[in-house]
Amino acid sequence: MAAKKLRRTQLSQEMCERLSRYQITTCQDFLCLSLLELMKVTGQSYYEVQKLLCKVSRACAPKMQTAYEMKLRKSVNPSSAFLSTTLHSLDRVLHGGVPCGSLTEITSPPGCGKTQFCIMLSVLATLPVSMGGLDGAVIYIDTESAFSAERLIEIAANRFPTYYDSDEKLLGMTRSIHLYRELTCCSVLKRIMSLEEEIILKKVKLIIIDSVASVVRKEFDTKLQGNLAERSNFLTRGASVLKYLAEEFSIPVILTNQITTSLSSGPGVRADLVSPADDLSLSE
Amino acid sequence: MQREVGTLPLAPALRARLAAAGFQTAQELLDTGPCGLSKEIGISREEALEALQVVRQECHGDAARTAGGSGTTRKCTALELLEEEQTQGFIITFCSALDNILGGGVQLTKITEICGAPGVGKTQLCMQLAVDVQIPECFGGVAGEAVFIDTEGSFMVDRVVDIAAACVQHCHLIAEAQQEEDHQKALETFSLENILSHIYYFRCRDYTELLAQVYLLPEFLSEHSKVRLVVIDGIAFPFRHDFEDLSLRTRLLNGLAQQLIIIANDHRAAVVLTNQMTTRIGQSQSTLVPALGESWGHAATVRLIFHWDNSQRLATLYKSPSQKESTIAYHITSHGFRDVQPPAVTASTEGTELNPRKRPRTEEEKQ
Repeated sequence: MAAKKLRRTQLSQEMCERLSRYQITTCQDFLCLSLLELMKVTGQSYYEVQKLLCKVSRACAPKMQTAYEMKLRKSVNPSSAFLSTTLHSLDRVLHGGVPCGSLTEITSPPGCGKTQFCIMLSVLATLPVSMGGLDGAVIYIDTESAFSAERLIEIAANRFPTYYDSDEKLLGMTRSIHLYRELTCCSVLKRIMSLEEEIILKKVKLIIIDSVASVVRKEFDTKLQGNLAERSNFLTRGASVLKYLAEEFSIPVILTNQITTSLSSGPGVRADLVSPADDLSLSE
Repeated sequence: MQREVGTLPLAPALRARLAAAGFQTAQELLDTGPCGLSKEIGISREEALEALQVVRQECHGDAARTAGGSGTTRKCTALELLEEEQTQGFIITFCSALDNILGGGVQLTKITEICGAPGVGKTQLCMQLAVDVQIPECFGGVAGEAVFIDTEGSFMVDRVVDIAAACVQHCHLIAEAQQEEDHQKALETFSLENILSHIYYFRCRDYTELLAQVYLLPEFLSEHSKVRLVVIDGIAFPFRHDFEDLSLRTRLLNGLAQQLIIIANDHRAAVVLTNQMTTRIGQSQSTLVPALGESWGHAATVRLIFHWDNSQRLATLYKSPSQKESTIAYHITSHGFRDVQPPAVTASTEGTELNPRKRPRTEEEKQ
């Protein structure tokens, strides 16, 4: 929406040409200028410029919905609101399961079972809707090379022996899980940006990123100056794209995180609280 | 009338021509008339007439201002302000401790900023306020509508349904206890459907959409004149990434703050913003401070900081022109934002069970 060209708003042709001479071609460029700058650039009076601002704003502002309309839309399709984890107490606490349309973060110290949980959710997502699944493909972005295809088949065959009773069914399931191995922050971000088309093409219903923390902690040493800003920049960009994908396609997005020690401020250095890494930047 | 031509809000090219032709004050322009002006400067008669109308409007506004009448600038005595403030309503938060330290609740015509770490309850308070602003006047509310601008996608309709249902039930209990006519009448319109229909929701994906929406807000508020609350949930999120030019960010944020102040004053609405926390690395330690920098701290009139103390949530009033700085504890329950100890006369349901949807601090799974 921000990159919408001014040509496609209600502005006149000559105005757009005049603005492009000052390198103002998108709505974003236009709205970042102050009123005085706009007057200079467009050559219009104060009141005219305010009207132009309203025109451009209308072209890229979001649509209004009332909370009531949102509720009605949700209640029309209740079964697709959650992906049940098949762990009954967890489902109860989560009010149904992993929610579709938002990001869910799974954190634990190493060895607790995050990757196993992700593999199990991949199996669940490929099941048909009648069995509690999402009947779709899965995109699995693996940064730690921890994904094991054999384990995947083992879980599927043992958990749902009646459904996955033949080799072809198992192979069919594995064909719908798309694994991407990314080892740097840059490649992870590029992959996230390219997901939109993949989701439509492959009918993806679940995105898993295992794990965000490992690439970030490898590349950004927070003790160095400037790294903290770059790290939070990378995380918020990734987060906003993932949120957009989750909301747009109404699918769950699962991220795994690692545990670090948060050192309390004060005399001496004590390992006090244990909190998820990237807590403050990614989790909004 | 003696206003200089260079200060008039005309197009820059026109101003340049007028200066070149030797015009210095607005009075000279008005004396020349449209035909004379068009001949001297070389513009069409219609353009000259338009320019003169702008000049006349400006001068009229100036004259009204100097005469002390009601112009665009408001002039009043402190006594009038005091009377106005005393009759003004507050938006209650249902947590009486928080209402007390705020001096009654969230004030109209002021900007209130809520800062806090993730998961501490900022969005919960915003959703609670979006419901509470609609409480009818006979129950102590302001009977207004709410605009909710969401930049992070953390607005959950189901949660608002829970909060609204609890609020309606609370009002029903008060009405039963007091048995007054207007209470019953007000309750007819104060239903779940009505509450949800009067929360206007906008989802802004990046800062351009946020800027555009704030430019369009005055028009929207003129059409929906009953709006008394504007919530921007997550003013920091769109501005924290993709900004190499920090001075542009500061300029945009200041412009945003000014527009919000104008909106708050003109439409008698409360503006509530939520902000994130960031780490400031000092020499030997790092502290958590509100994001968006020092200059943003001047934008809000009232600043609340939400934080944790072990497993208890605390709210600190950090900046306020009229109230003392203090800290209170609060709870998030399935009914919404509440006190830690529920008051003696209360609804039949307990209010202190932890919301099953809200994760406790030890478990690290979150929506």
